[in-house]
Amino acid sequence: MTREEPPDRRDIAVVAFAQTDVLRTTDELSEVEMLMPVLHSVLDRTGLKTADIDFTCSGSSDYLAGRAFSFTLALDGVGAWPPLSESHVEMDGAWALYEAWTKLLTGDADTALVYSYGKSSPGSLRDVLTRQLDPYYVAPLWPDSVALAALQAQALIDAGHTDEPALAAIGARSRRTATLNSHAQLRGSVPQGDYAVRPLRTGDCPPVGDGAAAVILAAGERARELCSRPAWIRGVDHRIEAHSLGVRDLTDSPSTRLAAERAGAFDRPVDTAELHAPFSSQEVVLRKALRLDDSVRVNLSGGALAANPMMAAGLIRIGEAAARIHRGESDRALAHATSGPCLQQNLVAVLEGEPR
Amino acid sequence: MPEVLKAPLVVEFPFTRSLGPVQSAFLTGLRERVVLGVRTADGRTLVPPVEYDPVTAEEIHDLVQVAPTGTVTTWAWNHAPRRGQPLATPFAWVLVRLDGADTALLHALDAPGPDAVRTGMRVRIRWAAEREGAITDIACFEPHAGEPASPDGEPGALADDRVTGIVAPARLDYTYSPGRAQSAYIAALSTRRTVGERCPACRKVYVPPRGACPTCGVPTAEQVEVGPRGTVTTFCIVNIKAKNLDIEVPYVYAHIALDGADLALHGRIAGIPYDQVRMGLRVEPVWTEGARYPDHYRPTGEPDADYDVYKELL
Repeated sequence: MTREEPPDRRDIAVVAFAQTDVLRTTDELSEVEMLMPVLHSVLDRTGLKTADIDFTCSGSSDYLAGRAFSFTLALDGVGAWPPLSESHVEMDGAWALYEAWTKLLTGDADTALVYSYGKSSPGSLRDVLTRQLDPYYVAPLWPDSVALAALQAQALIDAGHTDEPALAAIGARSRRTATLNSHAQLRGSVPQGDYAVRPLRTGDCPPVGDGAAAVILAAGERARELCSRPAWIRGVDHRIEAHSLGVRDLTDSPSTRLAAERAGAFDRPVDTAELHAPFSSQEVVLRKALRLDDSVRVNLSGGALAANPMMAAGLIRIGEAAARIHRGESDRALAHATSGPCLQQNLVAVLEGEPR
Repeated sequence: MPEVLKAPLVVEFPFTRSLGPVQSAFLTGLRERVVLGVRTADGRTLVPPVEYDPVTAEEIHDLVQVAPTGTVTTWAWNHAPRRGQPLATPFAWVLVRLDGADTALLHALDAPGPDAVRTGMRVRIRWAAEREGAITDIACFEPHAGEPASPDGEPGALADDRVTGIVAPARLDYTYSPGRAQSAYIAALSTRRTVGERCPACRKVYVPPRGACPTCGVPTAEQVEVGPRGTVTTFCIVNIKAKNLDIEVPYVYAHIALDGADLALHGRIAGIPYDQVRMGLRVEPVWTEGARYPDHYRPTGEPDADYDVYKELL
C-alpha cells in the first residue's frame, strides 16, 4: 500500500531510551521513586535537562497500585515546577509517545520526554484488569485477563493456527532470548508449568512485574545533535476493535494490520520487530497480521513474556527497537504495542536508521 | 533505612450506571427470562445487543428475541474460580452464539470437567433463581442435548417496569506500601518527630517528603527534623460537621509551616477560640496517647511571626 505523505512533514526520531529492571515487587519504592532513575538515565543519554524538554507526556493507571492521582505525584520526578507543557494518558506509554509525536509534528515542540510506569505488585492484576471491561455485560462476571486470553488461545487452536507445544515453544524462545536482556524479569529456562486457565499454562502468560521506561523524541537537526544515529519514526498509527469479544474474530487482528498499513510497515521489509504479545498465543496472531516471516528478528529483548510491566511494556517495545537502530544493529524496525483484552487495541510504529 | 511499611488497602465502590434503550431492553428481558438481540441494517443479530452498530456506528434499536440455547464458539477451563465470577466451582468460560444470533455472549458454563467441553457443543441458559435485570440473571450455561429451544419467557411482560440502571459493586484489594520517603516519615512520627527531606539542589525541605523535589526533579534523601513548632500561614473555618468526625464545629483547619520546613502541612487548630486564629499565629502539636500523628496544634504563646518570614510558604 502506498500513502500520500504531506511533503513538509517533520522528521522525528527516538533519540534515547531507558528502562528499569522489571521486578516482581518493589515494596521499598513509591512510584516516583521507581520512575526517577529512568528519567535521569534517559536525560543523561542526551545531555538534556528537564528545562530543555518542550513537551512531557506520560502513561500510567492508578488502578494498578490503587493509588489515586499517582500520575500527578510521579510528575515530581520530572521537576514540574515552574509548570511545564505536559499531558497524561491512562494508556500504555506507547500511546503517550503517539501524542508526543503528533505534538512534535505540529511544530509546537522540538523535544519531548515520554515515560510510563506500572506498579502492579500491590494488587491482584488479573482482577484489576477486569475493571477495564464493558461495565454492563462483562465486568460483572469478573473474567480475568488470563481467562480472556485463554478464550483467544482456544479459538486459535480450534482454527488450526497453533497447538499447545507450539505455544510453549514461543514462551521458551522468549525467555531464552531474554538471557541477553538484564532488565527482563524471566530469563533462561522457565518451566511451562500447569494450566493457568486451559489451554494456557503459566509459561504462556507474562510475569506480573513492576517497572518503568522513558524515551526522548526530537525533531530534525535537534535529533542529530542529540544522537549519533537517531531512530527516525517513519510512521505510527493505532486502531481499536469492537469492545465486545463475541463480535470479533479472535484469531485475527485487523486493527494491527490496519495500523501497520497506515504506519507504512508493509512498504518495505523490516529486519527487526518488537511485538507486545503478553500471551504466547497473541504472538501467533500478531505474526500473521504483520506478515512477519523467519527473516525478521522478533523480540530479541525477550518481549512481554519475559517482562510485562503494565503501561510500560508497549513503550519498551518502541524503545528496544529504537535502541537497536541507535547501536547499528537494525536499519528498519517495527514496534508494536497493545492494550485491552485479546489485543483489542494496537499501535504500530516503524523506525529507521540512516544508511551507515 | 527503616522497615518498609505495608498495610491492606481496599478500594470499593458501588458504580451506579444508567442504561441506553437497547441495554435497558436486554437487561429487562433477562429478568423475564427473555433474550433479546438487536438487528443491524445489514441483517445481523447482535447478542448481547449494543446501542450502536460496531461496524458502521449507526444507531440501532430493532430488537428481536433469540433462543436460550446456543453453540459454544470458544472456551477456556477455569479450575480456580476467583471472587465475583459466576460459579464457585471449576467451570468453563465460554463464548456462546445463541440460536438466532450472529455474535457470541461471554459467560460461564457449568460442566463436570474440561473433557466435557468442546467448541461446537450445544448449551442452554440456566437462569438465576432471583433476577433483577443484570447479566448475572443468567446464572451460567449448562450442556444441552438437542435442537434450539423455544423461548423461556414472554416478551409481552417487558412493557412495564423496565430496568433503567444497574448498580455494579466493584472491590479491589491491595497491599499498599508508601515507598522509602514516606515510610521514613511515618516511622519518625511514631516517635513524635516530624522528619522531612532536603533537596540536594535547591536545599528546600519537604514535609511530608515524597521522595523527589518537584522543582528540581531529583531524589531527596537527606533527612531533616523540623518543628515541632510552626507558623499558621493560612487557614479556614469549618462550619459543616463531617460525617463520622467527632469534632464540634466551627473549628479551624490551617496550613502550618513547621520551623525548618519549606512546605506547609495541614492540621487542625484548637486551644484558642476559632475567631482568634490568624496568619502568623505560632503553634505546636498536641499528641494524644497512642496516636500516630498530632491530634491538633495549639498556640505556643509566642509573638506572631512576621509576614516576611512565611510569605514564601503561603
